[in-house]
Amino acid sequence: MLKSIDGLDENFRFLIMEVQNQIKATYEFVLAPTPSTYDKIFSKDDYIDNLKNVIENKCFMTLNQTKLNPEQMKYLRAVHVITINLERIGDYCVNIAKQMGYLTTPRFLENFDYKDSFLKIHATINEILPVLQKANLSGALSICRMEDELDGMYKENFDKIMIHLRIGRNVEDHITSLFIIRYLERIGDSLLNIGEALLFVIIGERIKIQQFQALQRNLSKSGLQGDVTDVDFLGIWGSRSGCRIARVEEKSPQARNSIFKEGNLRKIRQEKINLECWNEIFPGLVPKVFSYQEEGDNASLLTEFLSGCTLDEAIFNADGEILENALFIFEQTVQHIWEQTLSRHDMPTNMMRQVGDRMSSILQVHPEFMRPAMGMGSVTIPSLGELIKQCMDIEARYPAPFSVFIHGDFNINNIIYSHQEQKVYFIDLHRSQHADYVQDVSVFLVSNFRLPVLEQEARERITRTIMSFYAFAKAFAVENRDESFDIRLGLGVARSLYTSTRFELNRSFAQSMYNRSLFLMERLAEQSPQDLTNFTFPLEIFNY
Amino acid sequence: MSQDGKFEFESVQDCLTIQKYLEALQEGFLQGRIVLNSDGSEICLNPGGFMKFEVSVKKKGAENKLVIKVSWKDKRDEPPATGEISITS
Repeated sequence: MLKSIDGLDENFRFLIMEVQNQIKATYEFVLAPTPSTYDKIFSKDDYIDNLKNVIENKCFMTLNQTKLNPEQMKYLRAVHVITINLERIGDYCVNIAKQMGYLTTPRFLENFDYKDSFLKIHATINEILPVLQKANLSGALSICRMEDELDGMYKENFDKIMIHLRIGRNVEDHITSLFIIRYLERIGDSLLNIGEALLFVIIGERIKIQQFQALQRNLSKSGLQGDVTDVDFLGIWGSRSGCRIARVEEKSPQARNSIFKEGNLRKIRQEKINLECWNEIFPGLVPKVFSYQEEGDNASLLTEFLSGCTLDEAIFNADGEILENALFIFEQTVQHIWEQTLSRHDMPTNMMRQVGDRMSSILQVHPEFMRPAMGMGSVTIPSLGELIKQCMDIEARYPAPFSVFIHGDFNINNIIYSHQEQKVYFIDLHRSQHADYVQDVSVFLVSNFRLPVLEQEARERITRTIMSFYAFAKAFAVENRDESFDIRLGLGVARSLYTSTRFELNRSFAQSMYNRSLFLMERLAEQSPQDLTNFTFPLEIFNY
Repeated sequence: MSQDGKFEFESVQDCLTIQKYLEALQEGFLQGRIVLNSDGSEICLNPGGFMKFEVSVKKKGAENKLVIKVSWKDKRDEPPATGEISITS
């Protein structure tokens, strides 16, 4: 595949060969050290470094000068990653040779089982080229798995060394031996990187071995016959809150598309529980769970892929009538959910506490978003800290009069609209719970406001969506005798505007959110307790 | 507020609150003393004598801008600071 790129293929083959030779020479040196083998290892290391530089130069030059198709691009990227890791393995060999000099006798290392590690490393490096050329998935996986095997061997030797160190026997030699076997373990880490780079070429996406194994297990549990290569990994949606999300498309005639999520155990587990909960209350509103797996601190989930567009896409792309229709269906659905799950009891909220929780990450992006106390003549201007404190007091006085089952992360892009089916769906539900519906309302409104578009017509559509949803939510509040709706909405929107600034690097837009947040807090804080009940949410703040 | 005698305040307000700020400044002009403070540091302005007073307005579509600028030099027996108040809406 790389033949078109001037000699790169050849350089790469040489590099693999030289690193293999280096492993062999290091093994021989450890068995029976001689000055000539030592010199050979050192001079070979220079050669490996040079080869790495040559390959790296060619990779970058090719990127700069040649128009590559996506396949070639992936291949080049993998070659680059593999090269860097091979060179690192070469360096570890040199380090091992150097450490040998500190042993009182080279035979000391015979106390440990290191030979198998060398042989396995040698055999694994031997596999790199054939796996790459034949796009051999199981070969790539077995390269990845070598890390685990080498870790196991390291652990055995480590435990043995610890026993001797605890009783203080041959401390120096044991520490040197520990360094040597530790380098073998680190070679395993590099082999894992190489294996994952090979997976990238074969599957077409960056995927870690645990994620791959989790996907494989999920697919087989969900009933897919055959191998993971029978599916296409489409449009990786990147990483959200530390979870990896991808769309998986089966190639079979009865193709069933799905979404694969892998990441933090707590989040994924909660998402699965919530999906089941939603499916019980409102069947068909959220994706079906096809399978779920837990592995150590991580979990993975394979769910139904819902066709349609996210509601923000409807704002930008659909014609006016479709948007109206989408909003109508959306509001009807939300009303139905709220009515069905409403439970009348006071529900304290903690919106202002969330401001405090996110403060450090906000200030990391915008250090100036922490207004101190100020004064202008006879007018005193309260600091942000003071405003938050006053708003916390208000929040404590106005709990929600009832709870509903809320989405919990009611961003506009977590709502899918299917024009064909005339339905909306909810996604990303790991925060769903019985809580104040104003929590969802405020997040939804602000997620509209912060959409990164300035074009007037699009902004008008955004404002229309905001107005419509506010009117809908307000009507629900009136109908259900929620007298503090506007107060809680003021607090919720102030919270969401301020915390959203941490995702906004456009300074002027971030500043406008920050200013609006302070405005809301000031208006709430300046009211006397009697006047506060007449507070009306100033909807104009959403005009931009 | 920075060390070099600057006071900056940017916010979103409604007409009622802007009126409150303007009244505070108006009161300061009347008394010949406007104190501005931020985070513990303070600037004291003593408007008096002849002052330059500028008003500029820009209207472009739905965008509006009103700038009121007052600048003056302190009298010789006072510290040689240049005071300037600028209010933009």
